[in-house]
Amino acid sequence: MTPATPSTRPALPGWLSRNLGPLGGLLALIAFPFVVAAQSGDSPVAVLTNESGNAKFYQGLFIEVFILAIYALSYDLVLGVTGLLSFGHALFFGMGAYATGILIKSFGWELGPTIVAVIGIGVTQALAVGVVLPRVKGVTFALVTLGMASVFHIVVQTHELSPWTGGDVGLQGLVPPAILNPNADRLRFYLVSLAVMVLAWLAYKRFVDSPTGRVCNAIRENEGRALMLGYNTFVFKLIALTIASVTAALAGSLHALYQPIVSPNVASLSFTVAALLMILMGGVGTLTGALFGALAYRLLAFFLDRWFGQIADVLLGVVYIALVLFVPYGIVGTWRRRRGRGA
Amino acid sequence: MPETIALETRRLRKQFGGLVAVDDVDLRVQAGSFHAIIGPNGAGKTTLFNLLSRTLDPTSGQIYFKGRDITRLPLHQTAHLGIGRSFQITNVFPNLSVLENVRLACQAVQPGSFRFWEDHRRLKAVLERAHAVLEQVGLAARAALPARALPQGDQRKLELGMILAPDPSLLLLDEPTAGMAGEQVPELMELIGAVQKRGGKTVVLVEHNMNVVMRASDVITVMHQGARLAEGTPTEITANPAVQSAYLGELYGDLGATQEDA
Repeated sequence: MTPATPSTRPALPGWLSRNLGPLGGLLALIAFPFVVAAQSGDSPVAVLTNESGNAKFYQGLFIEVFILAIYALSYDLVLGVTGLLSFGHALFFGMGAYATGILIKSFGWELGPTIVAVIGIGVTQALAVGVVLPRVKGVTFALVTLGMASVFHIVVQTHELSPWTGGDVGLQGLVPPAILNPNADRLRFYLVSLAVMVLAWLAYKRFVDSPTGRVCNAIRENEGRALMLGYNTFVFKLIALTIASVTAALAGSLHALYQPIVSPNVASLSFTVAALLMILMGGVGTLTGALFGALAYRLLAFFLDRWFGQIADVLLGVVYIALVLFVPYGIVGTWRRRRGRGA
Repeated sequence: MPETIALETRRLRKQFGGLVAVDDVDLRVQAGSFHAIIGPNGAGKTTLFNLLSRTLDPTSGQIYFKGRDITRLPLHQTAHLGIGRSFQITNVFPNLSVLENVRLACQAVQPGSFRFWEDHRRLKAVLERAHAVLEQVGLAARAALPARALPQGDQRKLELGMILAPDPSLLLLDEPTAGMAGEQVPELMELIGAVQKRGGKTVVLVEHNMNVVMRASDVITVMHQGARLAEGTPTEITANPAVQSAYLGELYGDLGATQEDA
């Protein structure tokens, strides 16, 4: 027997010390709104009563980070873990956002049934995309998924659908349900989106370490060999795609509830590229990297815009190129390599 | 007794355009035997191997495994019947650990691959089997290394470990010693022979270098220009005048050259 396997590794002193990093991060994020309020001279009660303007603003920024993180996490499962190059991932997010908006606004649905419907849509669209999986591989799969997302991007902007989708202006006028209204109770929305992100991260962590997730890893490494070993790789790819699709659709749902407008751009290629940038910055295939990548992506855009105004986009491009060149394994990937835990 | 035939082909044929790579080959492999298929470059042995291992579809003809027609069976299902195969080119999961490579090979033929809510280490039988196989092929000390970090010879051992892991009854090996240093070749051949004898397994081994298979084989089939030229025990094959005049000289000449290189 080898001493180097995780199962025979001597137990570390307790569950708590092993999970100090994630727990500390979670506590910091829960405390964050109150810290911001204190910084700007408001009492903690003002955060609870939704009266601290500064805290509200920064909670809003972080709600966006959480939503992006959930979305990036789902893309990491497809690309980083399973090795499927999809250029249509924004479709999954956009479907969730538009479905939520239309069901609540045009059909007057409650939040609960809407979420159930979004999950159902998430599964259905993954199966629809998955149909092509056995026939197209690699770049062809990228192009097919890009085509599917582009069709959606065009369809939601058509004049005929504009009573529901808002056409090229975007879907506006969605009144969030009282139970989860980001304007009436910012803190609740902040905590709910944080909780969704943490739960998704935990579930994904477990998935990649499960027998099923391990096969997905094997498919990324060498699909032909996985097939020869006796795995029906199509089924495993479809499972990964379905989980990712449901997750992205739920992120889209939160996006529709939070933002005053659902722009057609959430289904565009640039939004898929955003997911790619986030996991590249965070570390492809690391899952945790998706969270850091989303944080870096949103904060970079925010502060560059605040400090440099119009040339922010150019600077953003420079920063991305620099990161890919000098930190090719991303934030979490580089961290793990430094600590000698391998790729 | 039909059960004694492990693998059989009937008029198996593969054509690439006008080229007939495998020309109506009838092959019968006795269960529990060590059966080598040899021939010079271009004899069609690798194509035949790819047909037998279901990575290529034949143009016509049938393949039977233990009496069951597997000619059109999807590739991933053959592993579940107990067919293991290795290829000339090392074909592992480069960035996964040596242990994980073998563990995945075990997991493939056991239930539990769809337990997406559970840690993979909970599949205890799979993990134990993987460790046992690493012991068997002599890679236990390197279990935690990524497969890409192994030297060539150890990669061949890993390849063998991945085939042995699901405990198949039929092993299809395509030049398992390819790329190995000369002194490692007998070691690996002995390992294969020991596994075959102990487990009562059937081995079909495709080989260019005749010297490698002379000692281990029960039966040798000689391929020439896509067809079966001769078949018999190693002694019969060496003594066969047709084989000799057709190309044994060429093979031995080739062998001499590779030994000088080594």
